[in-house]
Amino acid sequence: MAQRNVYEQELDEDLGDNLDFAIGNYVQSGAPGLYDDQVQLDQATLAAMQMQLAQQQALAGVPDAVKRFIVHFHQSIRDGNLAEISLAYESGWNRLTEKFYAKTEWPEAEIISPLVGDDPIFLILYRELYYRHVYSRLSPNIDDRFHSYENSCELFNYLLNSDGPAPLDLPEQWLWDIIDEFIYQFQSFCSWRSKVANKNEEEIVMLIEGTQIWSCYSVLNVLYSLIQKSQILEYLKATQAGETPEAVAEIVGEYGTRSLYRMLGYFSIIGLLRVHTLLGDYTLALKVMDNVELSQKAPLARVTACHVATYYYVGFCYLMLRRYPDANRTFVTILNFINRMRQYHTRSYQYDQVNKTGDRMYALLAICSALSPSRLDDNIMNTVKEKYGEQYGKMTQGSEGLPAFEELFIYACPKFIAANPPPYENEVQLAAWQEEPPADPVTRHLALFLADVRAQDTVPTLRSFLKLYTSLDAGKLANFLDADEEELVQQMMVMKQCSRSLTRPPTSAGSLLEGEIVTTTDLDFAIEENTVVIAESTVGRRYGGWFIRNIEHAQRVFDSLRSQPLPISKTPAATAVPNGQTEKSEAPAAQPRAAAGRSGGRAAWGATNARRVEIEA
Amino acid sequence: MAATWIRPPTRPAEIDTLVEGVDRYNPSNVQYLEDYLYQQTRERQYDCLANLAILKLYQFNQDLYNSDVVINILLKALTAAPGPDFSLCLALIGDRSVRAVTRPVSNMATDYFSVHQPYQTTDEPDPLLPLLPELTKLSELLMTCRFPQFWSIYRSPELAPLRDNYTVECVGFEDAVREVAIRAVRQTFRRIGTKRLGTYLDLEGSELEEYVHEQGWVLDGSNVVVPPNADNVVRSTVQNEELKLPQLAKIIAHAQMA
Repeated sequence: MAQRNVYEQELDEDLGDNLDFAIGNYVQSGAPGLYDDQVQLDQATLAAMQMQLAQQQALAGVPDAVKRFIVHFHQSIRDGNLAEISLAYESGWNRLTEKFYAKTEWPEAEIISPLVGDDPIFLILYRELYYRHVYSRLSPNIDDRFHSYENSCELFNYLLNSDGPAPLDLPEQWLWDIIDEFIYQFQSFCSWRSKVANKNEEEIVMLIEGTQIWSCYSVLNVLYSLIQKSQILEYLKATQAGETPEAVAEIVGEYGTRSLYRMLGYFSIIGLLRVHTLLGDYTLALKVMDNVELSQKAPLARVTACHVATYYYVGFCYLMLRRYPDANRTFVTILNFINRMRQYHTRSYQYDQVNKTGDRMYALLAICSALSPSRLDDNIMNTVKEKYGEQYGKMTQGSEGLPAFEELFIYACPKFIAANPPPYENEVQLAAWQEEPPADPVTRHLALFLADVRAQDTVPTLRSFLKLYTSLDAGKLANFLDADEEELVQQMMVMKQCSRSLTRPPTSAGSLLEGEIVTTTDLDFAIEENTVVIAESTVGRRYGGWFIRNIEHAQRVFDSLRSQPLPISKTPAATAVPNGQTEKSEAPAAQPRAAAGRSGGRAAWGATNARRVEIEA
Repeated sequence: MAATWIRPPTRPAEIDTLVEGVDRYNPSNVQYLEDYLYQQTRERQYDCLANLAILKLYQFNQDLYNSDVVINILLKALTAAPGPDFSLCLALIGDRSVRAVTRPVSNMATDYFSVHQPYQTTDEPDPLLPLLPELTKLSELLMTCRFPQFWSIYRSPELAPLRDNYTVECVGFEDAVREVAIRAVRQTFRRIGTKRLGTYLDLEGSELEEYVHEQGWVLDGSNVVVPPNADNVVRSTVQNEELKLPQLAKIIAHAQMA
């Protein structure tokens, strides 16, 4: 037993972190008589006692507010009280993080374990949050990375391999975050792993021995297992076919009927979309979405972050498949949604993240609409030009715009990963790798994208010339452009190809890869031997958008007028100055309680109220 | 159009199950997919998604990697221009394309002894490495419709290894390239000089005439008449505005509130 203690201590030192060590440890010191080597025993006991003491001290050091929060959080999860869990998860955790753990880790799970009766499931969930905090606020070291992987595995094992469905209920937001974070940590690990230069020996040994950790196969396994266990594909097919709820329940079985599993399965599909995109497999990424309906009524829209991420990755895949009209449509749809949402969600903790993704999609939209100009939503295009007007201008100029394409692509693309680690296990190969490292994944995908752009870089210039004519001799056009006639004719064929694109009709329900060829340009032409015949589709004058905008504007003006306090006829001076200062100074006289609430906003509000009272009186 | 690309009618049922299901990740299935690829090269078929499934397996299992298979996949993808197929393939093999060192087969994830193995490259250098820039160049030429240049580079002595070892095995490769040119011409031209078309197809005289007839096109003096189709008939139109209900959602919602 003493042996085991020493072993555990070593393990402990090795991992630099203790794994369920405290719980079973001090029980073992109960039989001292069995041991001859008193010194060693004493040391072991001492170590155990010290450990226990240290943990008690650590627990004592945890602020009371945090302790109360954890106890309450635990209770809510045990009760399956979704409202309380959401509150603790979305607000409590973040507020306490700001207050106590902005720059340090939360207490380790072992330390707070006594608070929750050593509830293993809660501790797994707690570690999930613990590591997520480490990843987002601090810089995770190799132990954090390995342990967060192990903890995720424990969580998924519990969900997938218990006898029957786990008796657990979590808010959808959290379920999404679990999948999202799992993939984020995978991506983060892959890019960290590919940087050979900053690895010390110990880390290299760990990487060689832990090849299974965060491997592509293990990550895909988790996602596919969740999809299978939850029978989500069968669920989606059955609901699309319009089966009755009873029939659906019959089809999906005991796991699939539980919302925890159903949503995890559903989010895992979106997770696959993301993983495949990160690995550069755009067709497979869109293919896994075969049964997922892309609409605001679909389950994915229930979690805003999921909604936005899905459209981002789908749009990006379309971009890489050169299906620019599809990409445009995808981005415009979701950007419109973000704009509408902005009115309600400004304080949500995900607001920043959603906005960042939104900005990247504006950049991607600028790219797509430069490559395939078409008439898009005016509001959205105005924002594109506001944010990326300079780059957009350059990108529509053909070859000179290449740096602008590069800049926006690097800014807005997903964080691509390499599927395989550097050859850590072989020193010589590793040296060769370092000497001539392969291009990093972003550079590779950027190069492929820029090749597409370069292939059509003469199109904008040609277009601007053709716009001026209804028919034109090819030789003459070649002269204008200072080009060889044969070369020009070839460029014309490229232009023709670029004006046709595979597009999925927005209403169709099938695979995202489906589509038909459509014309994407308003300027079409054909070559009759050497004469270019040009036809332009013109668009009738548009009034609708203008009227819609102005009606909406009028409504806003009307609303804000209506929410204003009524003017007071008795004191015309005060109402003439809508300045908060005068109102505040006036408030104490009218209603002393309002002045007691010191904050500016509240005082002003109080003042308004006071005035209302006055009027009513 | 897209439907046959997603699932070609020539795809056998077993392959379809592989491509559609989770079995596509199982390394032991790579053989079936590779056999199917060789079937494609023999029978003038093409199945992009099945071939990408091979590359996916190579991406995850470096020990499976077979450069001949990759080259054949790329040749097949080349003639899918102006589709994105070639660059979709490159996106999956990019991991290794710039690496001068091929990994020895033995350093599987489970083999810890490989640490002690001496430095070694595989017996022969990876034939893909010198060919990849050439293939990329050829793809670029097809994408930019520079067909005469394509043929002259393709026939150049530098590309003899590619022709002798690979395209010769890929039945109908040159015809597939001609198909690319035919697609571009059909879209763009109503009437094209016979000589110009000849340079695009790398054909002359009676061969060219025959090819033109096969397309159902008509020789008219020194020109070839391309029958009208949706793409080479152009018409000016006026598009009128269409308002969709969602655009009015805000206004209607507001009217309800008021």
